[in-house]
Amino acid sequence: MNFFEQFAVILQEYYPYFLDGVKNTLIIAAMSVVLGVIFGTLMAIMRMCRIKPLKWIATAYIEFIRGTPLMVQLMFIFYGLPMVGIEFPDVSFIPNFSRFMAGIVAMSMNSCAYIAEVIRSGIQAVDEGQMEAARSIGFKYGESMKLVILPQAVKNILPALGNEFVTVIKESSIVSVIGISDLMYGAQGVIALTYRSLPCLAIAACIYFILTFISSRLIGLLEKRMRHGR
Amino acid sequence: MEGKSIIRVKDLKKNFGDLQVLKGISTEFEAKKVVSIIGPSGGGKSTFLRCLNLLEMPSSGHIYFNNVDICSKNVDINVQRQKIGMVFQHFNLFNNMNVIKNLTVAPVKIKGMTQDEAMEKALELLKRLGLDDKADSFPSQLSGGQKQRIAILRSLMMDPEVMLFDEPTSALDPEMIGEVLDVMKDLAESGMTMIIVTHEMRFAREVSDRVLFLDGGLIDEDRSASDFFNDPHSPRLISFLNKVL
Repeated sequence: MNFFEQFAVILQEYYPYFLDGVKNTLIIAAMSVVLGVIFGTLMAIMRMCRIKPLKWIATAYIEFIRGTPLMVQLMFIFYGLPMVGIEFPDVSFIPNFSRFMAGIVAMSMNSCAYIAEVIRSGIQAVDEGQMEAARSIGFKYGESMKLVILPQAVKNILPALGNEFVTVIKESSIVSVIGISDLMYGAQGVIALTYRSLPCLAIAACIYFILTFISSRLIGLLEKRMRHGR
Repeated sequence: MEGKSIIRVKDLKKNFGDLQVLKGISTEFEAKKVVSIIGPSGGGKSTFLRCLNLLEMPSSGHIYFNNVDICSKNVDINVQRQKIGMVFQHFNLFNNMNVIKNLTVAPVKIKGMTQDEAMEKALELLKRLGLDDKADSFPSQLSGGQKQRIAILRSLMMDPEVMLFDEPTSALDPEMIGEVLDVMKDLAESGMTMIIVTHEMRFAREVSDRVLFLDGGLIDEDRSASDFFNDPHSPRLISFLNKVL
């Protein structure tokens, strides 16, 4: 059997492994980005606020997370936290819940730092004069933000946020090392069953590519629509 | 100084780090008078103007607006700013709103005007300038001159007691300067109190009641417009005028 035949046969026989992996990969990526946006927004606000200690905490967190590998952060949370007595609860009706939680927590803590920077730079990219004009006419800081700055910042932020989602889909392959059955884990499972690593990895790569390609196209469309519909 | 002064400035100083930009300015601005501020770049003109509505926080000194010290912590600057209009060099129209929204958002949200009232007033002002066909345009679709005239209207919508102009024509193409200056001239004739930082000497001479020469963070000359240009005293002003006229 040549490579392409193997590719086809494996895909035909073992596709449930891959499908299950895709499902989990998407769940993890989506959860991480959603949580990342929520906490990233908080983190961005903290970083821009005038209360010095909050600013320092946010800056330190962002710099530290961005300066250390995701793999280390994941291991730290999955293996390290239980050693000091912090464990994620097991929920009986969801298999592997504690692993899953550790994966999502690590991924969203990581992406939160990047998203915080995306949001901050999106807000700071809005021309300073816009804030000055709003303040000079009598709007309070909060009103100026809400009416003038944020609507313009969103246009800078959303495309970058989409890119972050694409990145998270790819990076999430790392959670397979703590035994979460994502796409990469599924591929490794099939390798163990068939002893054919190259086709299995190729299938995984193709699926990852399809996921990211579709996502980035959708983001592109959204971006275009926003540019026209101003 | 005779007349009713609307803004009084007392020993105003402003530092940016180690650099002292304003070194103690004291002056008054009377109601219904037009005052131009000229001087070399870096002399503190814009900083001084921006201190008057606290876009820059003075390092020390006092600014009294209608006898209220706006530098005091007990004063709500947001309320005071509603009565001080400001026009910027780079227009700063709200880019996410069309022209009519730019004009109506502040009167509706801040002054509690109804949408209809604000709309009517905005359209009337636009019509007067022949800009009513631009009501639905976004700032990115307008020329510089149109943007600046609409920025002036945006300030007028709040019925300010005084208008500050920060080099309103410096970012404009030469052929558009006239249309903006015409609007300002009309405004001056209607009795608006205006403080104008400008490089347009001819305009300053024509429209102003008084001209200040700001150099090195101090007021170097403070005269009526005709004296200022015809009989300048300060040697630095004389050399400045020789260069620009």
